[in-house]
Amino acid sequence: MLESIPLEYYLGLSAIIFAIGAVGVMTRKNAIIIFMSIELMLNAVNLTFISISSFFGNTGGPIFVLFVMAVAAAEAAVGLAIVLALFRLKKTVYVDEVNTLKW
Amino acid sequence: MALYDVIFYLFATIVLVSAGGVVFSRKMMYSAFSLLFTFFGVSGLYVLLSADFIAVTQIMVYVGGILVLIIFGVMLTTKITGVDIKSGTLGAFQMGIAGLASLAIAVFMIIMSMNTQWMQKDPLAETSTTVEAIGGLLFTEYLLAFGVAAILLLVAFIGAALIARRK
Amino acid sequence: MNQEVFLAMPVFLISAFAVLIVVLDAVSGKNKTINFAFGIFSLLATAGAAIYTLTLQVPKLVNPADYHDIFTITKNTMVFSSYSAYFDILFSLAGILTMLASRSFISKGYHEYKEYYSIIILAVAGMVYISHANNLLMLFIGIELMSIMFYILSGYFRQRIESVESALKYFLLGSFASGFLLYGMALVYGATSSLELNVIAQFIAKNNFNATYLTFGIALLLIGLSFKIAAFPFHQWAPDVYQGAPTTVTAFMSTAGKAAAIFSFIIIAKALMPSFTNNAMRLVSTETMQMILAVLSAATMLIGNITAISQKNIKRMLAYSSVAHAGYMLMGVVANNQLGYDGIIFYATSYLFMQIGAFIVLSVLENKDSSNINLDNFTGLRKSNPYLAALMAIFMFSLAGLPPFAGFFGKYYLFLAAIQSGYTWLTIVAVISSVISVYFYIGLIVYMFFKDSDNPIAKAELKLSSVSLFVCLIGVLLFGFFPSLLMNLYAIIK
Repeated sequence: MLESIPLEYYLGLSAIIFAIGAVGVMTRKNAIIIFMSIELMLNAVNLTFISISSFFGNTGGPIFVLFVMAVAAAEAAVGLAIVLALFRLKKTVYVDEVNTLKW
Repeated sequence: MALYDVIFYLFATIVLVSAGGVVFSRKMMYSAFSLLFTFFGVSGLYVLLSADFIAVTQIMVYVGGILVLIIFGVMLTTKITGVDIKSGTLGAFQMGIAGLASLAIAVFMIIMSMNTQWMQKDPLAETSTTVEAIGGLLFTEYLLAFGVAAILLLVAFIGAALIARRK
Repeated sequence: MNQEVFLAMPVFLISAFAVLIVVLDAVSGKNKTINFAFGIFSLLATAGAAIYTLTLQVPKLVNPADYHDIFTITKNTMVFSSYSAYFDILFSLAGILTMLASRSFISKGYHEYKEYYSIIILAVAGMVYISHANNLLMLFIGIELMSIMFYILSGYFRQRIESVESALKYFLLGSFASGFLLYGMALVYGATSSLELNVIAQFIAKNNFNATYLTFGIALLLIGLSFKIAAFPFHQWAPDVYQGAPTTVTAFMSTAGKAAAIFSFIIIAKALMPSFTNNAMRLVSTETMQMILAVLSAATMLIGNITAISQKNIKRMLAYSSVAHAGYMLMGVVANNQLGYDGIIFYATSYLFMQIGAFIVLSVLENKDSSNINLDNFTGLRKSNPYLAALMAIFMFSLAGLPPFAGFFGKYYLFLAAIQSGYTWLTIVAVISSVISVYFYIGLIVYMFFKDSDNPIAKAELKLSSVSLFVCLIGVLLFGFFPSLLMNLYAIIK
């Protein structure tokens, strides 16, 4: 059943998702949207892991993905706490308006 | 075209379109909802790859946990109807450079994977479910990592409370 | 009893203490001293266990390719060598020094929450996992545990915009880098279909892998790790984060955090820098990897030192200089010989003492909102705080790499290692950048000793920081006057 769509399609798809996420991180100014783009990149990585592991019949991939999810959840909690702390102080979530640290 | 192919292309389209929506939409809330569709689409692809356990976990963790957190973040920091992109902050030049770079990465990756001779291409072992294998590994080889991940989550939430609490 | 139980003791101890201290947070009520004391105790216990493992017969630095299922209890997810054990000691020591100095500092700047100590313990735990990782998953968990704890710590002064800003920048760029790191790991996994570094190394040795994917995976891994150690094209976050974070946290991040990140570089380089020539792609060969790392290292030290010259804020200046020091430590990885790896040990040790010492001097002199750590504020420091000024001068001399302080011999071993493996040009660049760095390190000393000011910084109270400062001073002097001590110790123990 799996043979009808080759592995390359899945890998290509995840490469495109990764690239879209990277574009978001580099071009957007809103901290929350940057964070969402990072989640896109992580999803692309997870897709790569899962497709490789199911084509090669190896269980390492799903395990890794589980841990990536745990770490992503921890990152989400910490990241949004930081964004909230920033919003309390500066009333903004735009990274270009946060520039007290300069030389 | 087999049904499998149709479903793959359907999910791939959903994922790509909604990923684009996350990055390019002008309202934060639209981005958050596009992300929802991306997570569902990726989860569907996991099902196609016969990773049932991960597909369910994806929905529970990403949609049930992370996305809810993100939406809280959006609602606590901006008005829901607020337009996100401010005029002038997003230079066409910068956008072009970033887009080109990422496009180059993607194209390179795709061309590369098409031209690659995959070495250990074993046919997938016919298993009814992956939960058993995952659980077995999780409590033997990766037991320590599993425990660490648990502590990591706990302390991350303590830390988040430490930073975000009022007074 | 199985020897491995003892070898694994540092890892098990720090994990157990990490759980216990979180529980202690919940039950200890308002008493912060208990948490503080327990934190110090757990780090001491970890360091003690690591010192004990050094006396056992363990391989010095395990080369993943010759690794054959030695460690059965941890199912090959971990590796135990005297090299990792030594780094465990360093990480614990950095944690102890930071905690001692933090006590008075964080209550001066904001408020002392007992969670601070548990987060430091968790960060040390992450570093210990990195130093023992034999599996991409363990490596990833270690790096992320450490990084997430750093995000929290750098935002600890949550009522100060600088602190929150540094946390935000660190968080966004750090997770962006983690994305690259992960994608790299995924591609390496795809190329060899294994997560275990020794299996990957064996696949590579047998030339049984997917060359294109491995190359691209290594490239992405290098990007991600360069972010983590703040190497050249990806160093811009470091000065902002190090400047905005609480000073004691900066001391911790810029020493132990950097050493751990360098360690992950070593792990990756050891496993994925294969020596083979009959590969069609030729892209993944030891020479190419070495060359890329050498260019990174050279650019990092030059950029760090040149930008540091124009800084007026001392914390930011030290931040740029720490970028440069990462470049020096990379030289050891470039050299890829025993002397290079020993040199990294020496350099990491001496760098830990001098950099933490310098930041702790800053932290005790700092006022409530950290606005008085510019060069101008330090004029005439010799009159108001003679001892602190003298200490700072010693740390600056050592950071500049002047004999007879520890920093000199750290550089000496690394330079020697680079020359030995044929990278003379890299050594020349390193010497030039050291000379550049003398300018701003000595500049600070000139401000402190040879200029007078009407209102110098008031006399500082040291409290527990004096213990940390004393340890740092001893370290810098001891290993400066008797460099062979550390090297012999390390050699004999093995």
